[in-house]
Amino acid sequence: MKEKALPVLAVLGIIVVIWYAAAVWMNATWVYDQAERAGTTVSFAEVVPQTMAQDRPLLPPPHQVAAELWKGVAGQAVTSKRSLVYHGFVTFRGTMMGFALGIVLGVALAVSIVRFRVMDMSVMPWAIISQTIPIVALAPMILTVANQLGIDSREVPKAVISAYLSFFPVLVSMVKGLRSPDQMQLDLLKTYNASEGETFWKLRLPASMPYFFASLKVAVAAALIGTIVGELPTGAIEGLGARMLIGSQFGEPLIMWAALFAAAILAGLLIVAVGIVERVARKRMGVPA
Amino acid sequence: MKKLLTGALLAAMAGTAQAEDVTLQLKWVTQAQFAGYYVAQAKGFYEEEGLNVTIKPGGPDIAPTQVIAGGGADVIVEWMPAALAAREKGLPLVNIAQPFASSGMMLTCLKETGITAPADFADKTLGVWFFGNEYPFLSWMSQLGLATDGSAGGVTVLKQGFNVDPLLQKQAACISTMTYNEYWQVIDAGISPDDLVTFKYEDQGVATLEDGLYVLEDKLSDPAFEEKMVKFVRASMKGWKYAEENPDEAAMIVLENDETGAQTENHQKRMMGEVAKLTAGSNGALDVAAAERTVASLLSGGSDPVITKAPEGAWTSAITDKALQ
Amino acid sequence: MMWLVGAVVFWLAAWAVNAAVARSALGRTRGGRVFVPVLFGVTVLVLWEGVVRGFGVQPVILPPPSLIGAKIAGSAGVLWADFVQTVVKGALSGFVIGVGAAFVVAVAIDRVPVLQRGLLPIGNFVAALPIVGLAPILVMWFGFDWQSKAAVVVVMVFFPVLVNLVAGLQASERMQRDLMATWGAGYWQTLVKLRLPAAMPFFFNGVKIATTLALIGAIVAEFFGSPIVGMGFRISTEVGRLGLDMVWAEIAVAALAGSVFYGAVTVVERWVTFWHPSQRH
Repeated sequence: MKEKALPVLAVLGIIVVIWYAAAVWMNATWVYDQAERAGTTVSFAEVVPQTMAQDRPLLPPPHQVAAELWKGVAGQAVTSKRSLVYHGFVTFRGTMMGFALGIVLGVALAVSIVRFRVMDMSVMPWAIISQTIPIVALAPMILTVANQLGIDSREVPKAVISAYLSFFPVLVSMVKGLRSPDQMQLDLLKTYNASEGETFWKLRLPASMPYFFASLKVAVAAALIGTIVGELPTGAIEGLGARMLIGSQFGEPLIMWAALFAAAILAGLLIVAVGIVERVARKRMGVPA
Repeated sequence: MKKLLTGALLAAMAGTAQAEDVTLQLKWVTQAQFAGYYVAQAKGFYEEEGLNVTIKPGGPDIAPTQVIAGGGADVIVEWMPAALAAREKGLPLVNIAQPFASSGMMLTCLKETGITAPADFADKTLGVWFFGNEYPFLSWMSQLGLATDGSAGGVTVLKQGFNVDPLLQKQAACISTMTYNEYWQVIDAGISPDDLVTFKYEDQGVATLEDGLYVLEDKLSDPAFEEKMVKFVRASMKGWKYAEENPDEAAMIVLENDETGAQTENHQKRMMGEVAKLTAGSNGALDVAAAERTVASLLSGGSDPVITKAPEGAWTSAITDKALQ
Repeated sequence: MMWLVGAVVFWLAAWAVNAAVARSALGRTRGGRVFVPVLFGVTVLVLWEGVVRGFGVQPVILPPPSLIGAKIAGSAGVLWADFVQTVVKGALSGFVIGVGAAFVVAVAIDRVPVLQRGLLPIGNFVAALPIVGLAPILVMWFGFDWQSKAAVVVVMVFFPVLVNLVAGLQASERMQRDLMATWGAGYWQTLVKLRLPAAMPFFFNGVKIATTLALIGAIVAEFFGSPIVGMGFRISTEVGRLGLDMVWAEIAVAALAGSVFYGAVTVVERWVTFWHPSQRH
């Protein structure tokens, strides 16, 4: 454990040092400008402490972000609207809905694409094209259409946007995975007189699993991005995305950075969870880890 | 038997007295700019009129005009230039009330750029909001004779984001600000008012009408809907007047409605104070002369006018006449 | 009503044609491979047109494809300027820098196990972060022009490519590596001749994800401030102006640009990883 943690801590330490240096360097401009406006001059020794505690720093030093994050996580009741835990949960809920929807859609499409040539030929190119459409542009359209269909929930458009981004990695990896058995293996099954269904369940599907789980990590991250992007146009009312926007708009960079790190922590938790599921599933399937 | 009948009768009466639903789409996120509506709701003014009002906050990707076109709202808060532009695009929006009497929009410049008058804008970089809010700026520039396409002698236009960073980072010489919001963020950031030069659209004679209430024309011909809007406008204006008189309480009501929990008391109280100055002159009725000034300003857009012809029937006093009796 | 019925009939007919072509020998030819998806696309457009006209949907909600097509033809100049600003300057330059940097870093840390052990968990973590949230910050740092958009793209594409490539570098089998060792191959020879080629399927998985992220990143970043040119700028402005035909025109250009981009990557992939089972059909 120690052997594993040490390099990570070392790299993290380097990052923190660079961060502090960058904070001084980037925030100093403002201090000098202010001094110039006030008609005074400041020495470098005077500048450094001033770069550490600005209200709207260009780059807040780590301890400022940590303090704001701590205030948002531990300083409030978790049900409070000022709690990052509350907003994190809102985002988490949206992410999970989108993720689930994305997996179902991705796997279903992949299976039908591998099975039906006509699906492969007609749908696959368009699935790729669908990802090149900037979701930000589609978001208001999705909202409007949802309104027209009489869906008033804020969750549904968010989940749709999230699924739109997360189905694609699953689809690509599953198609690749389902096709990964090589000719020799397929021929072997043919000599066993295996039916198409048996080939699918006994060879193609197990062979695709490593690809599937690898894609899940990407997909869950994509779902989170989708949810956060979706939290802007759905009214910027709640969730980490909304807080980022409000922080940006009202010139409170600390709120924005805290929301960003909260999102990072959420992403980390999601990845770890997916990793655990992957390990358990692999063990069950007898794949050496 | 008699008891049963009375019960049924009561139930029937309760049915007719059931609150009518109204959905209001705001132009932007929950903030004191919309205090009147939140106050009317919190103080029960809507309820008194028998209305059940849902207030939908806006956001960077929400065009109220599109929401109302899609049936997501009954009435929207919008600026007149955007509403008139939408009308020309085939969405028949009608102004039914105008809570904001004057414009709060201005350009705020750093004094160190040497700008002292609008003529100095030439060859400078100016930050502007888009998303339907650019119309007042574009018509002002074309009246000044300044090109906005980046050609020499004109101005370079930046689409500014949602904050005042471009000015603080000196990426723009001037940025768009509202008297009730962004201007104070510049001050908060530590720049003293002495280091700033501001040009209010109102002072430059290019002001256009801001937050007004708009509905779809065809719905207005339905007497039931008209009646509902009369009630809505009456209660909303009551909310606005209450907010003007009790700005601190109004700000706290707004804060309670902010679901992001990221807004601060300090910002909202100050915003409420500034917004009250803009709503002060209005009892809700649209000043037709001001509306015509807006139209004239938008029409004078030179080669690329915001609207190409004077709109007809873009506003009505039918609602406010009844509401303000 | 006529529109609706017509659209549905067209849909069914087109699907039957597609199924027949896919099954026949024609489906194996190059022409067939182009024909089927194109017909599918045309079908979607016809359905769209039929539904919009059939139900009388207002153009400010959803314009019919015919109107969008007319808009594209009518404003080619604007669309081209936006394309250059967003795709060429923002997305492509960011993509090249990001993928290039990821490649260099992956190979560099492959040699230094300590760095790999230290950087990889962090890289994995950052790859999963909603980098989009950095867009307003990067716009504040790098200004309003394309540089900030490229910066967002760099950060967005760097980590997925890095993580995939590092994983891919571990993908060669023990036996293959032992074989290289028995032939007396050095580190670089093994890297170039065995491990990098073996890593390519993984690498291209990352690159393909990066292509789509690149466009999204460049467009989202324009949302937080931009000059008055660019696809993201045009989209957000025109939504506010109810110029939905222009919005869809930009979406169409974005989709086209993205597809060409993705297609180009796929061609390179096929050329590099011709040996991988997934390339056989």
